[in-house]
Amino acid sequence: MTEIYKQKQLRTEVWNTVNERYPGSMISKDDYVPLSFLKKPLSESKLTFISTSGVQPVGTLPFDTVHPIGDYTYRKVPSSLKPDELEIHQLKYPTVGANQDINVIFPIERLQELAQEGVIGGLTENFFSFIGYNMDPEQLEQKLAEDIADAAVRDHADIALLSPA
Amino acid sequence: MSLPYLKEAIENDDKEKLIRYVRLHFGDGNEEAGKKEIDKSWIEALKLLLDSSETDREFIFETLENKDAETLAHLYFSLHFYFVKRSGEWIHDGNL
Repeated sequence: MTEIYKQKQLRTEVWNTVNERYPGSMISKDDYVPLSFLKKPLSESKLTFISTSGVQPVGTLPFDTVHPIGDYTYRKVPSSLKPDELEIHQLKYPTVGANQDINVIFPIERLQELAQEGVIGGLTENFFSFIGYNMDPEQLEQKLAEDIADAAVRDHADIALLSPA
Repeated sequence: MSLPYLKEAIENDDKEKLIRYVRLHFGDGNEEAGKKEIDKSWIEALKLLLDSSETDREFIFETLENKDAETLAHLYFSLHFYFVKRSGEWIHDGNL
């Protein structure tokens, strides 16, 4: 079973392109986080959503999209919010489509529907959002990722849907 | 570029790498575009001062006098994007 954690990096050509645009930004790691398995059926599991989309509730402090090293904060996004209560602060991906329908990048209504239909057991009180432009891998891993993981645990998440923008 | 990469460039006084980073950052990964973006923000700032309209020099003086260099550097990056946005020629993919 442990062998599946030792898979080689997939789609290396994509990362080569990223490294061409932002030299040195591709971080390789030799250690892998072990996969976690579901402890109860999906229909009984509380789901949280974690996204790098820069989506945030209207009126919260905008993500710092100009800092050259990145923003290592996250925003709680109440899972009950409607699309018009959300906005995007993010420079590094096209937001034209998402500004028309935020679900294409932050599928909050689809997840609300899945919970109402009983496909999933429910949603955590909050979802979590940050911006994906982070040039300091240590802060990303040891501060931001840990902060979000702690917050997800406090919200009693059984499963987490992770979505890079 | 990752922070370790930039710190190494600074340590080695590798100005070419640093200049390239600045241009890539402002050009969303396109060095040539980044160069134009830097010029664009300066031109936009210049245009606003041609008529010698009154500005808040006290604010400028106090800010430069009282704020730390790190905050001013952050402000400098913010001003770049502010003037680029104001120019109406927004090449970036998303929102500030």
